[in-house]
Amino acid sequence: MDNATLQPASTEAKAKIPAIRRGVKISLDKLVIFGAFVLLFALFSVTARNFFTLRNTLTLALQTSTITLMGIGVTFTIITGGIDLSIGSVVALTGTIAVMAANVGIPIWMSMVLGLLTGVLCGLCSGLLITGLKLPPFIATLGMMMVVRGVVLTITNAMSKPAPDAFGDLGNDTLFRINQQFPGIAYPVFIMILAAIIFGFFLRKTRMGRYTYAVGSNEEASRLSGIKVSRVKLVAYMISGFCAALTGIILASRMVTSQPNGGMSYELNAIASSVIGGTSLMGGIGTIAGAVVGSFIIGVLGVGLTMQGASYFVQQIAIGLVVIGSVAVDQLRYKKK
Amino acid sequence: MKKVLTVVLALAFMSMLAFGQEVAVIVKTGNSSFWQNVQTGCFDAQKELKKTTAKFSVTFLGPQSESNVNEEINIVESAIDRGVKAIVLAPSDTTALIPAVKKAKAAGIKVIIIDSKLDGPASQYDAFLATDNDAAGRACAKEMIARVKAATGSDSGKIAIESYVAGVGSEVGRVGGFKDYIAKNSKLQVVTTQYSQSDQVQALNQVTNILSSNTDLVGIFGANEPSAVGMGRAIAQAGLAGKIVAIGFDGNGVLQNFVKDGTIQAICVQSSYNMGYLGVKTAYDASVGKKKVAAYVDTGFLLVTKDNIDTTPAKNVLY
Repeated sequence: MDNATLQPASTEAKAKIPAIRRGVKISLDKLVIFGAFVLLFALFSVTARNFFTLRNTLTLALQTSTITLMGIGVTFTIITGGIDLSIGSVVALTGTIAVMAANVGIPIWMSMVLGLLTGVLCGLCSGLLITGLKLPPFIATLGMMMVVRGVVLTITNAMSKPAPDAFGDLGNDTLFRINQQFPGIAYPVFIMILAAIIFGFFLRKTRMGRYTYAVGSNEEASRLSGIKVSRVKLVAYMISGFCAALTGIILASRMVTSQPNGGMSYELNAIASSVIGGTSLMGGIGTIAGAVVGSFIIGVLGVGLTMQGASYFVQQIAIGLVVIGSVAVDQLRYKKK
Repeated sequence: MKKVLTVVLALAFMSMLAFGQEVAVIVKTGNSSFWQNVQTGCFDAQKELKKTTAKFSVTFLGPQSESNVNEEINIVESAIDRGVKAIVLAPSDTTALIPAVKKAKAAGIKVIIIDSKLDGPASQYDAFLATDNDAAGRACAKEMIARVKAATGSDSGKIAIESYVAGVGSEVGRVGGFKDYIAKNSKLQVVTTQYSQSDQVQALNQVTNILSSNTDLVGIFGANEPSAVGMGRAIAQAGLAGKIVAIGFDGNGVLQNFVKDGTIQAICVQSSYNMGYLGVKTAYDASVGKKKVAAYVDTGFLLVTKDNIDTTPAKNVLY
């Protein structure tokens, strides 16, 4: 990255040029990652029974959607040069709040909105700790992770409570169901696709999105160019909290219970999917499309290996190797420059 | 100045010591309704025993997750440092907690083990209170074989196991007993054993995948509370409620509903309350009461089905 050299060009032009150069590079990256996904999918289709079926593909999409949503949110924070470790706990808290609200009689849609607001609030807290108190993102979100977990366990006494039946519709119902033949596309999958499109557009095409890249590439230069760095970071962390809340509500809906103990270590899979997808932990580089494909690589490994009967531990090894491998490939390519 | 400092340090040191007679109850995790039920038992015992010994107190602690063995070791060591009179411990690993237990015994602290066994001779601790997990696993296996026979007419077929954390004492006993009984008493074949890490969603996903890849599965065993809950959800979502024999473990509200609506055929419910209640009482007798205590107490289990879920014995163990 260049040292801060003040350029008379406008901020937008400045953010545009690196993005274009990045755009070509990223297309190649994305192709490679997507190729890896296709390869894994083909491999499991051959080796695992009933893997290559429509029903299973839809299941794969449903099970991966949670990692994808969290991965999309955390990508924003990583691009700004930070990280969000609190998302796993936020998943637990937001789902629990939504269920508790529904159980006292608040309409289900409103309970879910309450859950979403909780997530945004948590993200705002993290963001304020980072921009206001100038805490390193790792520390701030680590602290939030513990505080939020403690809060949700205290308010529920660690007990999982059932939600009203209608609460489960979001997580379990599908659209376009055609009798027994086509089970339909699950709502969470739709939400995932919608989120990917909206947030992808936001990141690449809006001013705030490009400021996000700028802040991550060179925070000082961005500040000197007049970008409100604190605001950009706050937005990133609120998006992360929002996506985690979306995940929390979907999971609570799928289980039709609140899970104050749930979401543990989910942040690791989210970060891994973002990194596999090409996001750099140094900041300034990353795409939503990459995070989506990265999450599906993790998802397909989980589903495929379970269907093959391989143990959970093998899955952990496989995912770890993929994370290391994808970052290594990225490093090699940058070295060649 | 030095005198003041000494006094202050002495006070600080004393405040670190366990006030009165403390029994520390340390479980595998603070985060589950099973262990919360153990806690209820502990505090009920505390209430009773406070009538005899006013200074008697019980503290209840556990790490964030059942797989966090190191944190449990740390909690035990800090209890030893505090100078508690006795420790009631549910070890999250059969060997990793042995050094900490040795330290406690060396410091004169009585050690009562609950729920999961510790490897090695029973002389390492003063008492062991648990569900006989091996017997519970076998009872589940027996129920599985009987129900599969009733449903399909034969004692052969494919089953799967959704377990929780590999290597922990209760799991070794439970799933081990289950597998052994199945192997010796039927022709049922266990096609896969998956580990949910005690996360409901993980269990839901894993069982869904198992059901997808084995469409001829006749039975499935969910070996602890989160695994059973995830298993139940997966069966319900796949539309297989009542079409596959599902046996679960533990008995929270969600599982009771599954039994009532036929998604799960039977749950094996441990008396987690007893583990806490009797555990604390035994710890009191051994330490403050200075009595000799029984080396092993079977806290019992009950197979709860749709037929007996409303009876008193069932109501006593369900939570």
